[in-house]
Amino acid sequence: MGRQIQWEPSLTTAKAKAKKGKKLILMDFYNNL
Amino acid sequence: MGKDFIPLQIDFNKNKVLVKRFGVKWTPTIIILDADGGEHHRFIGFLAPEDFIAQLILGKGKVEFNQDRFDQAMQCFQEILVRYPKADAAPEAQYYLGVAKYKASHDPKQLKLGLEALQRDYPNSEWTKKAQPYALIP
Repeated sequence: MGRQIQWEPSLTTAKAKAKKGKKLILMDFYNNL
Repeated sequence: MGKDFIPLQIDFNKNKVLVKRFGVKWTPTIIILDADGGEHHRFIGFLAPEDFIAQLILGKGKVEFNQDRFDQAMQCFQEILVRYPKADAAPEAQYYLGVAKYKASHDPKQLKLGLEALQRDYPNSEWTKKAQPYALIP
């Protein structure tokens, strides 16, 4: 089984975590039809 | 994925600010951003796992390329060609590998070598067409 993805709730927190961890951001726009 | 990326999910119907800012018209739309929020790569639609991973590596390579870290960019593009040579992202990775080699070395012959690799491995790709003028390099 793969690990559950921990999605960030906002771009602001994602940017802060990306800066701290020297990572990139994978932004997924989704739509529940 | 967690090693390189912070995953961020945006509800297309609820977050109109980001939908408008990034010009998103359809889902799923995946956008690769640097830590300052700058966009470097995007792809639309559902992809098979190998194609998805190859697109993420391509996005990482483009971030490195756009920030003039050509050796790191080349590693990403090479990784796609070695691990996912049949992925949809592979011809674009081959194209950018040639360009990154040129940017790192200032040797135009790298562009021609990149074209030759595209012609050999991905003869019907749009990226092979885009590299066609490099055939004129002596």
